Amino acid sequence: MKTSRILLYLIVLAILFTLPFYTGVYVLNVMDIILIYMALALSWDMLLRSGQISFGMAGFFGVGGYAAVLLFLNTGVHPLLSIALGGLAAGLLAWLIGSAVLQLRGMYFAIVTLALAEIFRVIVRNLPDLTGGPEGTVLSQAIFAGNSTYTYWLVLTASAISVAVSEVFRHTRVHFALTSIRNDEIVAKSSGIDVFKYLVFLFAVTSAIQGITGGAYAHIYGFVSPEGSFSVDFTLLPIAMALLGGMHSTWGPVVGAVVLGVVSEFLKLQIPYGHLMVYGIIIVVAILFFPQGIMGALGQRWTKTGTG
Amino acid sequence: MILVNKLKQSSYQIAVVTVVLVVILGFWKPHVLVEGLQRACLYAVIALPMALILGIVGIINLAHGDYMMLGAYFAYWLNVYTGMDPLVAILPALAAFFLIGVASYRAIIKHVLGTPELNQLLLTFGLAIILEQLANLLWTSRPIKLPLKYVSSSATIGSFTFGTYEFIYVAAAVVVLAGLLLFLKRTPTGQAAMAVGQNPRGAKLVGIHVDRTYLLIFSLSIALVGALGAIFMTRHSIFPLVGAPFTMKSFCLIAMAGIGNLMGILWCSLILGLAENFVLTFRGYGGWADILFFALIVLVIMVRSHQRQVK
Repeated sequence: MKTSRILLYLIVLAILFTLPFYTGVYVLNVMDIILIYMALALSWDMLLRSGQISFGMAGFFGVGGYAAVLLFLNTGVHPLLSIALGGLAAGLLAWLIGSAVLQLRGMYFAIVTLALAEIFRVIVRNLPDLTGGPEGTVLSQAIFAGNSTYTYWLVLTASAISVAVSEVFRHTRVHFALTSIRNDEIVAKSSGIDVFKYLVFLFAVTSAIQGITGGAYAHIYGFVSPEGSFSVDFTLLPIAMALLGGMHSTWGPVVGAVVLGVVSEFLKLQIPYGHLMVYGIIIVVAILFFPQGIMGALGQRWTKTGTG
Repeated sequence: MILVNKLKQSSYQIAVVTVVLVVILGFWKPHVLVEGLQRACLYAVIALPMALILGIVGIINLAHGDYMMLGAYFAYWLNVYTGMDPLVAILPALAAFFLIGVASYRAIIKHVLGTPELNQLLLTFGLAIILEQLANLLWTSRPIKLPLKYVSSSATIGSFTFGTYEFIYVAAAVVVLAGLLLFLKRTPTGQAAMAVGQNPRGAKLVGIHVDRTYLLIFSLSIALVGALGAIFMTRHSIFPLVGAPFTMKSFCLIAMAGIGNLMGILWCSLILGLAENFVLTFRGYGGWADILFFALIVLVIMVRSHQRQVK
């Protein structure tokens, strides 16, 4: 069972890795977007497993992007290193914020994270000497000179990392700690789990993933701007994807990202203004009618093996 | 009883700090005082209905500011098609948004009451997006402003000139706060609502129709915030995302005042309004005013969690 599963993962990874050799640039671009949102959706779901809800993906995504681009421009480090450092910056920032606000959880935490994107946007806009202000900063050249194969491998790595982290969390003691925090915090505390420490750690790790994704995105498209980098898209779509696919699992957000990623390509063409409404409707309908998502609806067998 | 004393004490402290700040500001920067007061009352009057929903229905409505945005567009619509003045449109907005509140409650909110807080947050977040994008589809994201003459009225005291129209927010805040307090403390329906807020199960046991109370409070709050949109749009330009920041600022105020403390919201919004206007007076640094509420909310959360640990 275990080896066959690992074999399956390897085959899927191999297919994904070799994708550039038999598809065109358009498919790769769509895949880039899907993989970026997949990483965000997974990072959101990882924190959700502890019962904490974050609306701050766009914030850390933008911070990672800005940090990567500014480090690259001002210190001349290699773009890949700057992406990693951008993730580190987002993680550190999340650690600071988490240490301050995770003592009070639930809606307090949720609202603070909801404000984050807006706050970071204001800060970036008001530091024009460093960040380029409202116009943002444009790179003279995109990463790998815009080579679509290399950029695809970059985002594939980023989202493979988030899948791996998510699976590690699911199959180690972290999983039990998080589930017990979600179910009953007092029970978790009396079982000797340091709830606060776990949550801060988790918030920092998931934000670092968002930062790395943001850095990759910024380098691929070659610019950062207050409106673009902190766009509500990066909060809204991952949530809709994770809810559609199914919360509290690795494969739910993955499936949701693939489905919605393809659908969003059509939606953008069909409804240029207001296509975001569809994601809002997906969130509301998913919460009201099928909180288990696609993976939950696919049958109990999957969820049973999944929650083990 | 200890809790009640503590609440009273904290709002008393806030009041003293506010008064001291106000006196200092009045002499130093009178502009900050007057405009801060007007801004504060705008914040308060938006936060009050949200506090009512949070305190009694027990749900945090992340779409709160977006209902105000819809109210503003509703008044704009009435103005375009019937030529009605937005201030007259307050009445039809009250009625229309009461019905919208009823519909929202029946169709959506009701089904997540009693489910984990997480579901409620996600649901109202989705609702907020739907409302914003609906406005985006119907009216596009272009800012809209009605050319109204009376909004630019002003008064002069000595060498100090200030806008007088914005005192409408002060009036609105006083009317809404006084009305809500009277309703909750003096009328049987209001008292029943308070009881439901304190303990829904106990309220049910003594024969209060809990679901109907939730429906009433939710719809009333939406009606208030929708009608406020009509006032808001006379002075400010409106666009689909205009309401969203108010949701977060309202929550900040509620968290500062403590859930269930309506009077405290007024004091807290005075602090926020004055502080924001104070920052706005520094040329070149005005943009930073928008992060004050965030600093405040983080501070409040840290203080509260510290208090909880000490306790």
